[in-house]
Amino acid sequence: MAVPARLCCSRLRYSLFAIRYSLLAIRPSLFPRRAPMLENFSFRTIVEYLPLFGQGLITTVWLSALSFAGALAVGIVLAAMNLQRAQLFRIPAKAYIDAVRATPLLAQLYFLYFGLPRLGFVLPELVVGILALSLNSGAYVAEIIRAGILSIPRGQVEAGVASGMTYVQRMRLVILPQAFKVTIPPLLGQAIVLVKDSALLSLISVSELTRAGQLLASDRFMPAEGFITIAAFYLLLYYCLKGLAGLSSRWLGLQPARSST
Amino acid sequence: MSTPSPTKTGMIDFRGVSKWFGTLNVLKDITLSVEPREVVVVCGPSGSGKSTLIRCINGLEAIKDGDLIVDGQRLGDPATNMTQLRTEIGFVFQSFNLYPHKTALENVTLAPIHVRKIARAEAEQAGRELLAKVGLADKVDAYPSQLSGGQQQRVAIARCLGMRPKIMLFDEPTSALDPEMISEVLDVMVAVAEEGMTMMVVTHEMGFARKVAQRVVFMDAGAIVESGTPEEFFSAPKTDRSRAFLSKILRH
Repeated sequence: MAVPARLCCSRLRYSLFAIRYSLLAIRPSLFPRRAPMLENFSFRTIVEYLPLFGQGLITTVWLSALSFAGALAVGIVLAAMNLQRAQLFRIPAKAYIDAVRATPLLAQLYFLYFGLPRLGFVLPELVVGILALSLNSGAYVAEIIRAGILSIPRGQVEAGVASGMTYVQRMRLVILPQAFKVTIPPLLGQAIVLVKDSALLSLISVSELTRAGQLLASDRFMPAEGFITIAAFYLLLYYCLKGLAGLSSRWLGLQPARSST
Repeated sequence: MSTPSPTKTGMIDFRGVSKWFGTLNVLKDITLSVEPREVVVVCGPSGSGKSTLIRCINGLEAIKDGDLIVDGQRLGDPATNMTQLRTEIGFVFQSFNLYPHKTALENVTLAPIHVRKIARAEAEQAGRELLAKVGLADKVDAYPSQLSGGQQQRVAIARCLGMRPKIMLFDEPTSALDPEMISEVLDVMVAVAEEGMTMMVVTHEMGFARKVAQRVVFMDAGAIVESGTPEEFFSAPKTDRSRAFLSKILRH
């Protein structure tokens, strides 16, 4: 395992040198001679820690999935409140969304992590983490859903009204089926953001993917190995979600196009 | 408030109706009565309040002053069930407003099934018959995006007819269409009129007005300026404003 890795490194090193010396001819002072950066990169340690990374990856996947489900629930309720004409519903929803969007997720996470026990709710870190991600992402999901519903042309609402539909019938039969298609791509975008945000849960010692990288980095004093590896795994997750987004948009493309009116 | 005629009420009865958009007075003291089975064409320059006038009838716009009585029910009265009343009033939009996620047949049957509570099989049979009647028997399963403008508007008319309304309102039904598609829509509207539907049609299609309208109402700046039979109106307009308007639209 180590031999091809070395081989790969030396080839990379060679090309780096080639670039450096070709540029050196132009501005020698810009490129002082340094030890090559990948000299000590240890693939062996990464392989050794692979089971830990695997566990972290699995935890990240399912806690993100749960958090996204929670975010959808929170988002639907907030969007429904935000679309009401009554200030009684709109003001709290808007205040909540503003508060979430204006503050860092890390602050929100610590707020729950240290705040909930003071209120008498002592929950496992994992539950606090999922709660924080759901409540945070829910605010963004609410805005996506609201935008999706508002993007449906006014004429659709009027057509429903004119044929004697009630508000609930219009929503169920006319608006929501159309809004659903519009919101799928941005919702998947939000899911990608949520997966990356879940890295912050490592700070309240949830043993997810980033935590695995941190452990490697601190056990062996190898930050590059730890964090480049988790970055690669996040990239993998990103491409999975992106593939899902592609599939869904192809599926939506087969459905009838949106009104030309 | 104007004094309503005490004896008879029409199918649609405007009695001194006024409406403002902010400070803009879009309807000024409109008094107009449409009898059952009557076809009234409303014309006038852009911004004269024609569309607003017919949008008030099914409550898409609320009136400010006066009384508007539709099918014996006063709009704005707490006793009037607007949702119920709207099922009796078909409305055809300038931009069709078909449901893009539903097929032609589903567009026609959606409200009958969910609002009128008609059994699905029965509604679908009626829907197929209506689509055949507007000449779209072969487009039953097509989505609106697969239909031309004229075809979409005919589906929209079938969608209204599916509710078996007492009144049909048309808001510039041919204005968004290419010229060669206008006649296919007008033909359907003529057929509906000849079956005895009470209709108010905002249009500049003077051929249609001559053929089926009992009355032409000319509006300008939110008021009814002139009203008469198509023959009177087109051959001998009484006011300068209607003469000027007619000279503009008939020149081409």
